[in-house]
Amino acid sequence: MRSWITGSTIAVAMALGLAASPALSQGSGTFKYAEQVKLITMDPQKQSGSGVPFLRPAYESLFEKGPNGENLPLLATDYAVDGLDVTITLRQGVSFTNGEPFNADAAAKNINRGVEIGIVEGLKTVESASAADEYTLIIRLKEFDPAIISTLCYTGGMMIAPAAMADPALDRNPVGTGPYVHIKTESREGEVQVYTPNPTYWDKDKIGLARYEVWEIPDDTARLNALKTGQIDAGNWLSNPQAAIIDRTPDLKLIRNNGGLNYHVIISDREGTVVPAFADPLVRKAMALSIDREGFNKAIQFGLAAKSFQPYGKGDWAYDPALEGVYDYDLDKARDLMAQSKFPDGFSFDMPSIPVYQSRLEALAGFFKEIGITMNIAPQEPGTLARVSRTTAYPATNLVWNTITDPKFLALRYVYDDANYNPFKAKPSETLLALAEEGLTSVETEVRAPVYRKMAEQLAEEAFLIFVTNAPILIGTSEKTANNPTVVYRYGEDSVNLRGLKAND
Amino acid sequence: MLRLIVQRLLALIPLLFIVSVMTFSFTSLLPSDPVDLILGETGTQEQHEMLRERMGLNEPIVVRYVQWLGRAVQGDLGTSFFNSVSVSTALMQRLPVTLSLTLVSALIAVVVGVAAGIAAALRPRSLIDRLATVGATFGQAIPNFWFGLLLVAIFAVNLRWFPATGFSPLSASPVDWLRSVTLPAIALGLSSSAAIARQVRSAMVGVLQQDYIRAARAQGLSSRRVILKHALTNAMVPVVAVLSFQITVLLGGALIVEQVFAINGLGTLAIGAVRQQDIPMIQGLVLVMVGLVVVVQLATDVIYGLLNPKARPS
Amino acid sequence: MKTVPSDGPAAAPSRRRRGASGSAAIVVVAGAILALLVFLALFADLVSPYDPLRQNLIASLQWPSAAHWLGTDDLGRDVLSRLIHGCRIAVIAAGEATTIAILIGVPIGLFIGYRGGWWDWVVMRVVEAVVSIPGIMVAIVILALLGTGLHKAMIALGILFSTSFLRLARGVVLAEREEVYVRSARVVGASGGRILLGHILPNIAPPLIVQTTLTVGAVLLAEAGLSFIGLGVQPPDASWGTMLSTAAAFMDLHWFLAIPPGIAIILTVLSINLIGDVIRDGVGRGITVAARQDAPVASFAALADVAPSAAALPPPRPDEVLRVEGLRVTVSTADGGELPLISDLSLSISKGETLGLVGESGSGKTLTGLAILGLTSVALRTTHGSIVLNGRDLRTLPRRRIEEVRGNEVAMVFQDPTTSLNPAFTVGSQIAEVLRAKHGLSKSAAWARTVELIDRVGIPRPGERARAFPHELSGGMAQRIAIARALSCNPSLLIADEPTTALDVTVQQEILDLFRDLQAEFGMAILFVTHDLAVAADICDRISVMYAGEMVEMAEVDALFARPRHPYTRGLLSAMPHASDRKPPLPTIRGSVPRPGTWPAGCRFSNRCDFKVAACERRIPLTGTDRLVRCIRADELVLEAAQ
Repeated sequence: MRSWITGSTIAVAMALGLAASPALSQGSGTFKYAEQVKLITMDPQKQSGSGVPFLRPAYESLFEKGPNGENLPLLATDYAVDGLDVTITLRQGVSFTNGEPFNADAAAKNINRGVEIGIVEGLKTVESASAADEYTLIIRLKEFDPAIISTLCYTGGMMIAPAAMADPALDRNPVGTGPYVHIKTESREGEVQVYTPNPTYWDKDKIGLARYEVWEIPDDTARLNALKTGQIDAGNWLSNPQAAIIDRTPDLKLIRNNGGLNYHVIISDREGTVVPAFADPLVRKAMALSIDREGFNKAIQFGLAAKSFQPYGKGDWAYDPALEGVYDYDLDKARDLMAQSKFPDGFSFDMPSIPVYQSRLEALAGFFKEIGITMNIAPQEPGTLARVSRTTAYPATNLVWNTITDPKFLALRYVYDDANYNPFKAKPSETLLALAEEGLTSVETEVRAPVYRKMAEQLAEEAFLIFVTNAPILIGTSEKTANNPTVVYRYGEDSVNLRGLKAND
Repeated sequence: MLRLIVQRLLALIPLLFIVSVMTFSFTSLLPSDPVDLILGETGTQEQHEMLRERMGLNEPIVVRYVQWLGRAVQGDLGTSFFNSVSVSTALMQRLPVTLSLTLVSALIAVVVGVAAGIAAALRPRSLIDRLATVGATFGQAIPNFWFGLLLVAIFAVNLRWFPATGFSPLSASPVDWLRSVTLPAIALGLSSSAAIARQVRSAMVGVLQQDYIRAARAQGLSSRRVILKHALTNAMVPVVAVLSFQITVLLGGALIVEQVFAINGLGTLAIGAVRQQDIPMIQGLVLVMVGLVVVVQLATDVIYGLLNPKARPS
Repeated sequence: MKTVPSDGPAAAPSRRRRGASGSAAIVVVAGAILALLVFLALFADLVSPYDPLRQNLIASLQWPSAAHWLGTDDLGRDVLSRLIHGCRIAVIAAGEATTIAILIGVPIGLFIGYRGGWWDWVVMRVVEAVVSIPGIMVAIVILALLGTGLHKAMIALGILFSTSFLRLARGVVLAEREEVYVRSARVVGASGGRILLGHILPNIAPPLIVQTTLTVGAVLLAEAGLSFIGLGVQPPDASWGTMLSTAAAFMDLHWFLAIPPGIAIILTVLSINLIGDVIRDGVGRGITVAARQDAPVASFAALADVAPSAAALPPPRPDEVLRVEGLRVTVSTADGGELPLISDLSLSISKGETLGLVGESGSGKTLTGLAILGLTSVALRTTHGSIVLNGRDLRTLPRRRIEEVRGNEVAMVFQDPTTSLNPAFTVGSQIAEVLRAKHGLSKSAAWARTVELIDRVGIPRPGERARAFPHELSGGMAQRIAIARALSCNPSLLIADEPTTALDVTVQQEILDLFRDLQAEFGMAILFVTHDLAVAADICDRISVMYAGEMVEMAEVDALFARPRHPYTRGLLSAMPHASDRKPPLPTIRGSVPRPGTWPAGCRFSNRCDFKVAACERRIPLTGTDRLVRCIRADELVLEAAQ
């Protein structure tokens, strides 16, 4: 048992660069951000996949990430971890936009709701939450969790007004404590969500805008045109031709934010329930070897990414240099493995796709075809890939893993038999299970890193997660936005920090 | 005229009834259980049952239909399976977009089609006539979305006269609205203008041989007046019938052309709803489409009556 | 009677020949394109230079080169090979959806057409409902039920297009049923159903073929559209629609990707549509060709150059309103020739006088009236002669001036009042329009004058009738309106083209009385065109008899009736029914007026004339001073008649 206090550093970090200009309770100007995925839900505890930019204006999390990934206070001011008990001190004088006070009761209700719904993977380690007193929240863990505070920096820590939880339309009526309030009447479904300043915000100095808009523009070209014509100030992109065009266009800027989008194929049906071939590790390895990551990066991601063979990116603390090149493109070897497998004549399977991944999957289908595997592409509505990936509708899927995510989530997402993205409830190997547990025994990265390296090696060996390329989080901005000092990109997220954000000019 | 409208409205009741039955029965035709669709396969048995109860899926289909119809008549088309967005709201937000596109393209189709048709009819077998005929033949073979891509490449990407994508609401700025709707409307209207040109030409050639045209000329009325008033009014009678059909075609075409220009109209909504099997949304979409077609037919019937006094009920 | 043909009869055959060779060329080219399409579809694997799915990510988005004739796509796949494999998908798609549409539509259509009753009612209401939804929406909804993919999309399109086959089959059954019931009523004991089936099968084939070509074209466009929006063929398979879908994402970087599949779709659909047009024309022509077989193959070259004769012109008359001299009207033929329809026509009319223009159908009476107004149709030209109205030659006036003259100085009343009034406007507005356009009257003044005029032509409750539409009036009343319109600007010449022919006998007399009254009041000259000598006798002062485009006799009405000098006039008079004597049958002139281009070279009446002699083979001039006649035996015949 070990107490682990970082309170003092939090106080220092609060002074971070954003507090220069005169205090105005109402901001001025409009900032328009474009999101590449469709809005599915604004309920943070039901949110999965992308789309956080829709939530950030209205919802605040208990903590937030600093510029180097450190945990900073937001709705919480301090915390202490004592074994399985996490004690969190909450900020006082905060109220939700519906007038309800923000206190430990409200926070506990949120955490418990998140645990019950079970979509936020980070909360899987949480037993329950309760209020110790008005502003002290106790979270009781099921197992030791070194990443619990990180979890509370994202959707897992976002606080919904308790009364709003009963609203069946919570997915379109967010009620939080954030600097801005969602205006339903001005928003247009499927097109734009509009936010205006929260008149009761606890830190009025940080409201710099009169209006904030998040545009839903799934079409990459359309989003690019919107940026070119000034219809939007910034927007997120995957590594694709349009991002490459932004990078080349003189008066636009492509921001490579920290954190990486590590694109990978997931063999969900790895026990072969639907596609027997997937149970054969030789087949999975052959698939991993058949991918020309170099060409993939060049043709599809326009050189904006890097080859990837493991969940972590270069420079991450769990990164394992030994894995570099382990599945480098080797068609002969891949064909050999297929020949040795129980499925020398190949097989076919269905793969869900969303428009932004269409060309990636076509390329993968081309690679797999070379070793006799037919991959049929099944289009899904944009924004629903994560959800469909949690069902048994498809034997395999494809997602991105954000490299800033704590490695423990690998197990929560993919490994455990009740992991979110293990819809076929495949039993994890003993080795993986043991490593997953071992990784949770400490908070020190030096202790955990070797464990997770081993885990990455084991994952590569089992090859049910086939990593392809890792690209930075890309945010395209206009020149004005690039020169706006108040624009701060959230660590490892494809969104802008709204606290202190002012309009361009 | 009022009588005509009432008559037509009454005749629509069986049509709307059958369409509503057809769209409603999708729920039961659907291969997968809507509850599974909504919850994914992750929900517990209890959650499934609760949702089933809440959605009224345990009731017999006739009861559900009557309930649904009762709400639909009041404008409540239910809520999307996948979020809390009311179907009526979503439709009403998208309707102006698709409607702008359809109506502007119909306008273009009529103007271009009628002008080309008249020009061709006035000098049969002349160069203009041949050009118009060849143009109309090509116009009907060119896919609207491909033509849209071409227009984007030329007029948006290269010449930068028009925005390549997106839609600006009319209420925000009429100029931006017109700019945003021009290219998609041209792409959409092409094949309809071809069809209308053909129809106008043949109707006009027929009408120009009529005695009343010769009589009007004999009375010393100017050629322009004779052609544009006396001949066109009569030639438009069959054209109006074609136009009614063409607007239905345009409405369908808009669903695809919207994709080319990344316009958030009913088409985007429809494709999304189909991919997710969002039944209430699909039902609503079909009803709105039929509603629009019905309005168009009613309008064309009225115009038909104005142009052709014989068609009016006496 | 007749209206003037819009194109010359002799022009038709050669134009048809040219049209036929044009469409033959189209069929060959379109057929070749389609044959190539099918060939490529069948042998795609052999023909295409590369595997359509083989990607080469290093060589993506390349322009056309020797290695890749149409370049490469975003994944470095060969565009040509993908295009060729796209042919296969296009053929499968078109075949599958069309077959499904026929297999669903035709049997159901036959069944409900035969069965009728409730089955018919319900199915047709469902069909109406489906048709009222935009087609692509129907397909999308069906795809919601079936899921995406080529074959599912084709099932959806098959269901969608089955409605047109259903309606077609039902229509054929209903049409045949009428006929068969009539016949089987005669042949007692024959089974109606059996006969029906025997009749339907041959009759359904032609429209079925036409509908199939229409459907194939529509299916190809719809398949491309569905694949484009991602609901049809799924990538990486190459269909033209999916290729365009990819191209759409790369318009900024490599627009060329959109060109090959676009051209492929357009050429294919165009070929099918053109062949469909030709087939449709062919199916339609089966009926029209027979009716045209008597079209003359004329050797009219010699006739075309008949010089205006130096023969007698009508003597000048006092107060002459109209004087026509040496008028010739021709139709241009396809080979550039000019075929005369009226030749060497001269006449004159004085103020307050009525000149009758009589003759059988096809003699050129109506055309003369129209030629005076300059209103012959586009294919006709007035090549010779002068038309002097109130001292001005109308043929020398520019078009604008002629438009001024029409209505103001000369107006025309047509044969059928129900077709000469515009059905789309009230009768009053059509008169008021003339008053406003020609006299610049204000709206209210024009209307007041209109009501006055309607009152003047003897229509009771004129204010109310002015607001009626032509179809709401009786023929006689409509003709009165037409007369009122013609007289609205007080013209000095009124051309009345068979104004009583379409009317009941009782009404005829009233209209003739009206003409007389109005002439007495307004003093205009009337050129009265009629085939009815009794009518002409009633109203005319003088009569001109026309035959085969020329005048054969002109005389005062009493003189003509008393002593006709031309055999044709005699024939007409003896064919005239007299209410007093009932001695059937009436003698008639044998044969009929020859068509233009088949006129005999000499006397045009010679082939029907009982008095023909060798001299009649030459051109016969019009002779005489007071009375004019075009017959070399006129004097002998007068004697004969007197005996």
